[in-house]
Amino acid sequence: MWKEIGDRERGILRPKSFTTRIKSNRIRTLQISNHKDIVSPHRASINSLQVDLTEGRYLLSGAADASAAVYDVQRATDYEAGGLIAKHKCLFVVDKQHEHGHKYAISSAIWYPVDTGLFITGSHDHHINVWDTNTTQVVMNFKMPGKVYRTAMSSLATTHMLIAAGTEDVQVRLCDIASGAFSHTLSGHRGNKKFIKNNQSYRMLPIYNIEESCLAFKYNIAFFMVDGVMTVEWSTSSEWVLVTGGCDGAIRFWDIRRAGCFLVLDQSHSQLGRRPTIPEHSATNKALTSKSLSSGQNLNAKPRAQQRKLANGNGTKQSPVGRMPAKGSLRQRLHPGMLSSLDRATAHYGAVTGLKATEDGMYLLSAGSDSRLRLWDVESGCNTLVNFETVRLQAGKPIQLATSQDSDLVFVPCMTAVKAFDVWSGNTSQTFRGHYEYVNSCWFSSQEQELYTGGNDKQILVWSPSRLIADEMDEGPAQDRDNWSD
Amino acid sequence: MIMEEGREKGGGKVLSLIEKATNSTAAEVDPRLLKAIKSVVRYSDMELRLAANTLLDLMKRDHSQVRYLTLLIIDELFMRSKLFRSILVDNLDQLLSLSVGFRRTLPLPAPPAVASILRSKAIEFLEKWNSSFGIHYRQLRLGFDYLKNTLKLQFPNLQANAARIQQERAERERRSREILLKKFEMFKDNFSSIKEEIMSTIDEIGECLDIVRTNEEFMPLPPADDEYFEEFRSSELLQIRLNTLKEGEKVHENSDNKVVFDALRELYKLLETKHLVAVQEWISVLLRVEVADNRFRDSALKELIDIQNRLKSVKKKCEESGCALPNTANRDGEEDDFWEEGKIGSLESERSTVPNKQDEAFSMKVTPNKFKNRTPESSKKDCNDNEILSAEGGETNLDPLRSKLLAEAPVMNWGSFLDNWGSNRKVLTNQRGLELESHWGRVDYDTVIPAEKMPELNVHATLYEEQQTDIQPCRAPLSKGGLCQRRDLRVCPFHGPIIPRDDEGKPLNQNSLKEEISLDLGIDSIEQLAKQAVKNVRARDKEVSNKREIDKKSLKRAKLAKIREHNETVLRDAALTSTSRSASIGEDMGVADGEKPSARNKKETLSSMLHKKVTPKDRIAQRLLNSRAKDSTTRQLTLGEDANYREAFPNQWQ
Repeated sequence: MWKEIGDRERGILRPKSFTTRIKSNRIRTLQISNHKDIVSPHRASINSLQVDLTEGRYLLSGAADASAAVYDVQRATDYEAGGLIAKHKCLFVVDKQHEHGHKYAISSAIWYPVDTGLFITGSHDHHINVWDTNTTQVVMNFKMPGKVYRTAMSSLATTHMLIAAGTEDVQVRLCDIASGAFSHTLSGHRGNKKFIKNNQSYRMLPIYNIEESCLAFKYNIAFFMVDGVMTVEWSTSSEWVLVTGGCDGAIRFWDIRRAGCFLVLDQSHSQLGRRPTIPEHSATNKALTSKSLSSGQNLNAKPRAQQRKLANGNGTKQSPVGRMPAKGSLRQRLHPGMLSSLDRATAHYGAVTGLKATEDGMYLLSAGSDSRLRLWDVESGCNTLVNFETVRLQAGKPIQLATSQDSDLVFVPCMTAVKAFDVWSGNTSQTFRGHYEYVNSCWFSSQEQELYTGGNDKQILVWSPSRLIADEMDEGPAQDRDNWSD
Repeated sequence: MIMEEGREKGGGKVLSLIEKATNSTAAEVDPRLLKAIKSVVRYSDMELRLAANTLLDLMKRDHSQVRYLTLLIIDELFMRSKLFRSILVDNLDQLLSLSVGFRRTLPLPAPPAVASILRSKAIEFLEKWNSSFGIHYRQLRLGFDYLKNTLKLQFPNLQANAARIQQERAERERRSREILLKKFEMFKDNFSSIKEEIMSTIDEIGECLDIVRTNEEFMPLPPADDEYFEEFRSSELLQIRLNTLKEGEKVHENSDNKVVFDALRELYKLLETKHLVAVQEWISVLLRVEVADNRFRDSALKELIDIQNRLKSVKKKCEESGCALPNTANRDGEEDDFWEEGKIGSLESERSTVPNKQDEAFSMKVTPNKFKNRTPESSKKDCNDNEILSAEGGETNLDPLRSKLLAEAPVMNWGSFLDNWGSNRKVLTNQRGLELESHWGRVDYDTVIPAEKMPELNVHATLYEEQQTDIQPCRAPLSKGGLCQRRDLRVCPFHGPIIPRDDEGKPLNQNSLKEEISLDLGIDSIEQLAKQAVKNVRARDKEVSNKREIDKKSLKRAKLAKIREHNETVLRDAALTSTSRSASIGEDMGVADGEKPSARNKKETLSSMLHKKVTPKDRIAQRLLNSRAKDSTTRQLTLGEDANYREAFPNQWQ
C-alpha cells in the first residue's frame, strides 16, 4: 500500500488507477468482520440483500418471515465489548404485523434506484409492494399471477420506472410505478410443468435437473418442476434491455420497446475464450487476468476495446439490436418471430437461478440449478466457456450474485459458503465460510469494499477488508494473545 | 500437503505425537503426550500450523474416540495459542459439524457412547471459547449463536451459572452485613444497660459466695499430708487422693445455706445461659461488623472482652466453690442420656429447641454436652459419681444379657396388641375414651374384661407371606459363551424346557430333555407305581382284587407311555430341524472359530470400540423377533397343553 502511495505522490500513478489498486488490494483481504455486526431482526432465511445505489449506506434485507429491514451500514447503533464490536441494528422493519405487510416470504427487496425514498418488495404471497421509506407505508401494490421470485429495476432508466418481476408464471411482467399497471407482459419462456406422481406419496418436491428427475423416478417420489421465471436483471448498458432467466433453462434478452425477445442465449453456441475488456488506462486487472489470456486473444484486444468504448459512449441512446453489424441483419430479420430452433436454445440444464450483468454491460454471469456458472458475451450471445470451479449451487431458490468493482471478481453463494471467482479465469480467489446454512444472497458494496451475505441461518454477515495494523493495536478490554502456561 | 512440507523441513515431530495421543481408548489424552505436543508447538509456528491441520484432519476420522481425543487437544491449544485460534475459527463450521454432529447428513460416527460425550464436550468447549475469545472472533460468536438460537441446543451455561452463584453470594453477604449493622446499632443503644445487668449479676454472685464462705470459714481444713503423698506413687491413686482432698475442702450444702445456694445456682444459670452467650455473641458481632467509626467499636470490644474474662473467672469461682450446681448438672446429664439414644435426629431436634440461632453459640452449647457423656466432667463427678459408675457397670452387665435376650426375642410387627404385651391386668371396658351416654341403656363404667380373656382378644394376626421360591435359571449354553441366566418357571422361550444342567450347560439327563413336557406326570406315575407296589405287597392278603386292578392300570399306563414316547420322538425330530437351538448351534461353531476367543483376550483398541456391544436387550430382541424362536416357543407351550389330551387319547393323535 505504501508503495502505491509513494507512486501516487511522485505522480507515477494516476488517481483512478491508484484508487483501483487500493480497492483491489482491500478486496483481496476480505474476511469476516469482527468489528461490524448486523443484528438481523429476521426469524427466517434472508432472501435478498441490497445496499442503496445512491448513498451506499442503507442495506435493505428481505427475509422469508415476510419481513424487510433497513440498516445503516456506516453508522453503528451501539457498541459492544468496549467499542470493539459495532452493532448495526435495523433502522426499521416491516413485517407481517404491518397492516399492508406481506403474508408470506419476501423473495426480493430492492431499492428504488434513484433515491432511498422508495423500496420494492416482492413476495410469495403474489404481491409486489412499493414502500415509502420514510413513512414505511405501502404506496403501490401489484397483484401478480403467482409467487414473485425476483424483482428488478433498471439503474440507468431515465425514461421509465418499471419493475420487472419474475414470478411463478412464465410471463415476465413489467409493473409501472407511475401508473400502477402492468405495462408489459413478456411471454417467451416456456413452462415445463411436469408432474411425476406415484401412488404412494404425494410429497411435492421441486426438481431442477435431469439427475434429480432420474432419482425421483428411482425412488418413486412425486416431484414437480419449478416453473416460471426465477431471475430478472436489467442491462447495465441500456435502459431498455431486460434479461430474464427462466426455469426452462433459457436466458432471454428483451428490448422493452419491441415485442418478443431478441436474443436467447445458447450454451452450445460458444466462443473460445473471451474478448478482453480491460481498457488500457485501468491496467490493474491486467496483471491478474493476463495470465489466463491466450496470445491469440491478446491480438484481438484493440479492436474489441474500441468497439466497447463505442458501445459505452452511446449505449443508453442506442438500441443494442442495431449495434451488431455482423449479426444484426439476421437478428433483425428474425426478430420478433425468431426461428423456432433458436428460440428453443437453453443456457443451463435446469433452471436459471441467478443473473448478474457486469458493470460495463458487456458480459452476463448466470448461475443455474445444474451447478454451473456461465459467463456470456452479451455482444455475441456466446458462452465464453470459462470454467468456474463451483462445487455445487443451491438449486431450489433464486440466488443473488454480486460482482466487485470493475467486475474482476464475482461472488457466488455456493451452498453454505460464498466463493469469489475470478470472472475471466474462473479460478476461486477466496472462499468465505461463516454461514451455517445455505447462503441465498450476497451484495458487494464497492464504496466500502464490503461484502454482505445473507443465508438460511438468519444471519447477515459483513465481510470487510482486514483492518490496518494501527487499528489492531486498539484491541479493546481483553487482549487476544498467546497464553502458554507450560 | 502441508504435512509433507512439514516433514521435509525436519518438523513433523508434532505429527507423530498427535498420532500417538489420539490412538488410544482412554477417556483422556495422555498428559505427558499433551505436554510434549504443547512444548513442541509453542516454539514453532510451523509446527503449530501443522498441528492445526493435522487435528482438523483427525476430526474427520470415522471414529468418535479419535475425534474426542482430538477435540481435547484442540481445546488445549485453542485456549493457549492465538495463531491456532485464528486457524481454527476459519474452519469452525466444519469443526462444529464434526464434533457436535448437527448436520443431518453428517452424524457422529460410532461408538455412540463416545459420540454423545464428544457432542456434550464440544458444546461445552464452544461455550467456553465463546465466553473467553468471543469478542475477538466473529466466527465463534456466530457458531455459538447458531447452535444456541437456531438449533436450540442446550448449553451447560457454566459462565452464567457461576455469575448467578456469585451474585447470590454477594446478596447473602450484603444481607448479613445489614443484619450485623442493625445488631450493632442495637448493641450501641443497649450497651450500658447490658453492662449494668451483667455487673449486677456478677456482684450478686460475689456476695453469695462471700456469704457461703463466711458461713463455712470455721470448718477446719484437713492439712495436706506430704508423707501421705509419697506413699502413693501411682499417679492414678494420687489423683484420687487429691480429688478427695479437694472434695473435703469444698463447702457443702446444708439446710443453713440452702437459700444462698439456691440463689447462687440461679445466678450461675443466668450467667452461663444468658450473659456468657450474649457477650460472646456481641463480641462476634463487633468483630464482624464494618462501620465507619471504629472508636466505639474498639472500646466496646475491649470492655466486652474484659467482661467476658470476668464472667469466666466468676463462673470458675462458682464451680470451685462447690455450689457446682448439682441440679443443673444433673439435669444436663439426664438430658444428655436422653438425647444420646436418638442419634442424628435428636441432634436436629435439639438444634431446633435451642432458642438462639447463632451458630457459634449453638455449637458451644452442644459440644460440651456431648463431651460430658463420654467423659464425665468434674462437676458431674462431684455429685453422682457413684450413680454413673453403677449405671455404667449395669449397662456393661446388661449388655450381654440384653443381647442374649434380643437374640431370643421374636420379631413382631407393630400392632395394638403390643400395648399390653405380657400384662396380666384386667381391663376396664368402658373407660377407653369412647363415651356412651346411656345410648343403649345403662352403661356400667366398672365393667372389666378379665385378664384371662385378654389374650383371646389380642390374638395376633399375621399376613401370610409367600415364601420366595428360588426359580432355577435356564443355564443353557449360549452362543457367545456363558449360560443363559433367564429364570422361567417351566419353559425358557429360547432354550426350551428348563432341565437340570451341569456347569457347562449340558443337560444332566438326556431322557428328561426328551420327555420334559410330560416329565412330571411320568415321574409321578412311576413313583406312584412303586409306592403302590410296596403297599400292595403288604396288603396283598387284604386286597387282591385291588392289586389286580392296579396292575391293569399300570399296564395300561406303560402302554400309554410307550406310545407317548414314540410320539415325542417324532415330534422332537420334527422340531430339531427348526428350533432356535439347532439353528444357533451352527452359528456358535462359526463364531467360536472366528473372533470370539480373540475378542475376549484382545486389548481394547479403537477398532474394537466400533464393534457394537451386543447388549442383553439386543440379544433378546433378536431372539424374540426370530420367527423360528417364536414358532418353537409356541410349539413348546402348545405341547404342554396338548399333553393331557394326548395322554388320554394316544391312539387318536397318531
